[in-house]
Amino acid sequence: MSQPQSDPLLQAETTCGSLLYELQIIWDEVGENETERDRMLFELEQECLEVYRRKVDHANRNRAQLRQAIADCEAELAAICSAMGERPVHTRQSDQNAGSLKEEHARILPQLEEMRKRKSERRNQFIEVHEQIQVISMEIYGPREYIPAVVDEIDLSLRKLEDLHKQLQALQIEKSSRLKKVQEHLYTLNSLCSVLGLDFKQIINEIHPSLGESEGSNSVSNDTIQRLVVAIQELREVKLQRMQKLQDLATSMLELWNLMDTPIEEQQMFQNVTCNIAASEHEITETNTLSVDFIKCVEAEVSRLEELKSSKMKELVLKKRTELEEICRKTHLVPEIDSAVEYAVEAIESGTVDPACVLEQIEVQIAQVKEEALSRKEILEKVEKWLGACDEESWLEEYNRDDNRYNAGRGAHLTLKRAEKARALVNKIPAMVDALTSKTLAWEKEKGIQFTYDGICLLSMLEEYNILREKKEQERRKQRDLKKLQGQMIAEQEALYGSKPSPSKPQSVKKGPRMSTGGAASRRVSLGGAMIQTPKPDSKANSRVARKTDKAHQVEQNYLDDGVSCLSSARRGLDIAGVPVKKYSFGAGSTRDIEPPPLARQPFSPITSKVSSNTNMANSKDELNIQSEKLQKTISLNNMPFSTPSKTAAIVVDDENRTPKAMPIPVPSTPSTVSVPMKMVMTPAPAFGGGELVRDIEYSFEERRLGFVLQ
Amino acid sequence: MATAVTPASLGRELSDPPSDGISNLRFSNHSDLLLVSSWDKSVRLYDASANVLKAEFMHGGPVLDCCFHDDSSGFSAAGDNTVRRLLFASNKDDILGKQCSPFGRAVILVSEIFDMFSFILIIVFHSFLFFSFFTIGQLITGSWDKTLKCWDPRGASGQERTLVGTYPQPERVYSLSLVGHRLVVATAGRHVNIYDLRNMSQPEQRRESSLKYQTRCVRCYPNGTGYALSSVEGRVAMEFFDLSDASQAKKYAFKCHRKSEAGRDIVYPVNAIAFHPVYGTFATGGCDGYVNVWDGNNKKRLYQYSKYPTSIAALSFSRDGRLLAVASSYTYEEGLKPHDKDAIYIRGVNEIEVKPKPKVLPPA
Repeated sequence: MSQPQSDPLLQAETTCGSLLYELQIIWDEVGENETERDRMLFELEQECLEVYRRKVDHANRNRAQLRQAIADCEAELAAICSAMGERPVHTRQSDQNAGSLKEEHARILPQLEEMRKRKSERRNQFIEVHEQIQVISMEIYGPREYIPAVVDEIDLSLRKLEDLHKQLQALQIEKSSRLKKVQEHLYTLNSLCSVLGLDFKQIINEIHPSLGESEGSNSVSNDTIQRLVVAIQELREVKLQRMQKLQDLATSMLELWNLMDTPIEEQQMFQNVTCNIAASEHEITETNTLSVDFIKCVEAEVSRLEELKSSKMKELVLKKRTELEEICRKTHLVPEIDSAVEYAVEAIESGTVDPACVLEQIEVQIAQVKEEALSRKEILEKVEKWLGACDEESWLEEYNRDDNRYNAGRGAHLTLKRAEKARALVNKIPAMVDALTSKTLAWEKEKGIQFTYDGICLLSMLEEYNILREKKEQERRKQRDLKKLQGQMIAEQEALYGSKPSPSKPQSVKKGPRMSTGGAASRRVSLGGAMIQTPKPDSKANSRVARKTDKAHQVEQNYLDDGVSCLSSARRGLDIAGVPVKKYSFGAGSTRDIEPPPLARQPFSPITSKVSSNTNMANSKDELNIQSEKLQKTISLNNMPFSTPSKTAAIVVDDENRTPKAMPIPVPSTPSTVSVPMKMVMTPAPAFGGGELVRDIEYSFEERRLGFVLQ
Repeated sequence: MATAVTPASLGRELSDPPSDGISNLRFSNHSDLLLVSSWDKSVRLYDASANVLKAEFMHGGPVLDCCFHDDSSGFSAAGDNTVRRLLFASNKDDILGKQCSPFGRAVILVSEIFDMFSFILIIVFHSFLFFSFFTIGQLITGSWDKTLKCWDPRGASGQERTLVGTYPQPERVYSLSLVGHRLVVATAGRHVNIYDLRNMSQPEQRRESSLKYQTRCVRCYPNGTGYALSSVEGRVAMEFFDLSDASQAKKYAFKCHRKSEAGRDIVYPVNAIAFHPVYGTFATGGCDGYVNVWDGNNKKRLYQYSKYPTSIAALSFSRDGRLLAVASSYTYEEGLKPHDKDAIYIRGVNEIEVKPKPKVLPPA
């Protein structure tokens, strides 16, 4: 049974043979003729051939299909490889060594599958990158150029992918830089807003709603950035404007403060305004420094100060004016500026003139008047004296006319005394007038203007007075003559009748015109006192010094013969006297260098040298002083500009030999070791000499030690 | 003289003291480091609690003042007209600036020799955010060339960048003190100028010392309301910045560092004032060798330490006020003469010596 199965062809042949045999048997039975039999056999052969051909054709077609498929596969593979930019793995050399077509096909298929898979993966990558690029470029450039992600199937090479990645990366960098830029802008904007006191949220919402969100999804489009930039620009301009305004305000504020001496506490509140006065734009970062409210507040303060100033100014101007008037009154000058000031005050009130300007003007006037007053002072004093004398004169005349003047009433002795004085004074008047005239003439010559007294020319006053006096003199002479005549008559009468009549009342003496000198005399009554009271500027200081020197004297007297302690106490006395004390002389160990006080100093020298126990020492000290003075001189010479630095430096720096060689061995100023500084001072004040300049300047211990001397 | 007192009562004497007069000493604000400047041309850095000399810087001339920048650097002003920054770790210094003469060309040569001392300096750290000028530490120097100068220690390149400003003074600057943004400048001629550091263009106040004699030292109250000023004539004035009548009524001056001998006073210069950082009381040191502690508010003397061998040249409280550095060093007030050697004493400060005593209230 196994045989037919194992060899079907044989079986089939057997079957064909047996069938032919069976046919021959049948034909034999039927008795078919030979031709029929041949025809039948031919037909059979034809049919068989037909079947064969059909099968072969079919097989042939199959083979062609298979080849086609392989070729297709290879082509596709090649296309994919080329698209992906890879070398084709498979070449046509398979014809020789590869097996059957089917094997070949079977081998190529998985490759193709593999490549296809890779290709689709690659494509997906491309699409992904494309999409990302799209998204980012849309974010950056806006939605207008949206292109659906189409991947070019022909070129899927890694290089292209790389390119795309680079593009993407570039875009990402661009985006992040833009994001950063936006953040920066936002930060700038925020700081600007805070400085300007604006609502940051609102402003950025207007620019782009996404900016308000805190996470990084901010819009980065050109448009947004542009808008941000514009917004910043605008705010910066606003800031600059406001800053300008604030700085203007601060400037005027400072001026006002200076002008009105505003207390520090009041200034403190606006310290943060004024501190920005010179700041540049980027330096102003404090919150709300430039907000509308703040500027308004500053503005209010400035206008308050302004108001204060104008009111104060008016006050000040008026005060100054009264001062001016006062001075004029005291110096009997006619204040010619009154009307101008009046006008100025009105002008200030109406705001047409700067009060500071007016103030300055008045101050200049005051200075001028003061200066003039100073030059007039001497003459004015004389005028006062003269006028006083004139008053006395007229009083005396009045008094002389009083017949009852010798009646002893209350205070008569006082009047008598006054009259006595007045007579003496009146005698001096001509000399006074002469002196005054020459002084005035000299003054007028020097100044080239008339000396006026309350607007009246002093010389004419004097002249008038002289004329009057002359007149009076004449009258008096006439009177005297008359009296003489009367006397004679009386004498004659007496001779006749022997009785002496009471002295007759002088008839012709009219109440002579008062020694009036224009309006001055009457005014004098009220003003004279003021003039006298003018404080002498020096008197107080002088008396103080005098008093103190007295004290110093006292102290010294007390300790006159007490050696060392006297020295210190005397020095104290000097201290008290307010004299600048040079405690230590420049030369080491030299004991001198108290600056002689202007007046009180001299008396000390003899006293100190008299100190009994120390006579010798004092003498030696004197010598020492002279020497040290010389030394000082030489050193100050060394200090002159053209000495060589090295020379002086040697003196300064040399530690061991700080004392110049010329110095004598330092004499311990006092035997006691303790009471150091005081005793240094006591040597008698040396005569003023060349070293004066050096001695006039105080020096600290350190300066002395370094030999530091001012030129 | 010094034999009369036992060293214990004076405090612990530092080893390796300067070999010449001590011009100033200052405690650090951060540690117990002590910076000492001296006429022997050196600046020395001590660890006061460990009694160790940590660094020494030599200069071209006597050093007139010094101060800390932080614990790693400081500044010095020397007689060779230079301000130096001292780096403690490296023992190096660099020159911050030379004082420049404000005078014409012809005088410059001489000025360089005599005129241009930076004399006293202090350091200021400011962090006013609103004032762009003062966001950093500034160094301020006063000089005998009658100027005040501000330096920016960061600007190492060129003087223009280092020197922030120069402000002319009426006289030679003798002492400076700073509190908050107020700077008090005391000069010869008894001038006192008070500056606001935020506006240095001109003094906020110009005053004359209320004492009659040369100003020796000025120090601001730690609470910033005023300053104490001492003179060569044994007197200290307590002043207030506020110009209102109420404040000015509080000012006063008192005598100190005097010796009564047979009914007469001998008066000594008051060289140093140091405020206690905690209690606001202050110590004064004079040429009599005494250190006194005062309570300025109650006008009481709290304590007097036993006498030091020679003049007190400088005083400084440590940052917590537990230590007081005393420079006992002859200050040349009598010129060249034999004197006790210069020494630095570190003494512990008991609370009772510096704490203000409450006012005794009258029994109700």
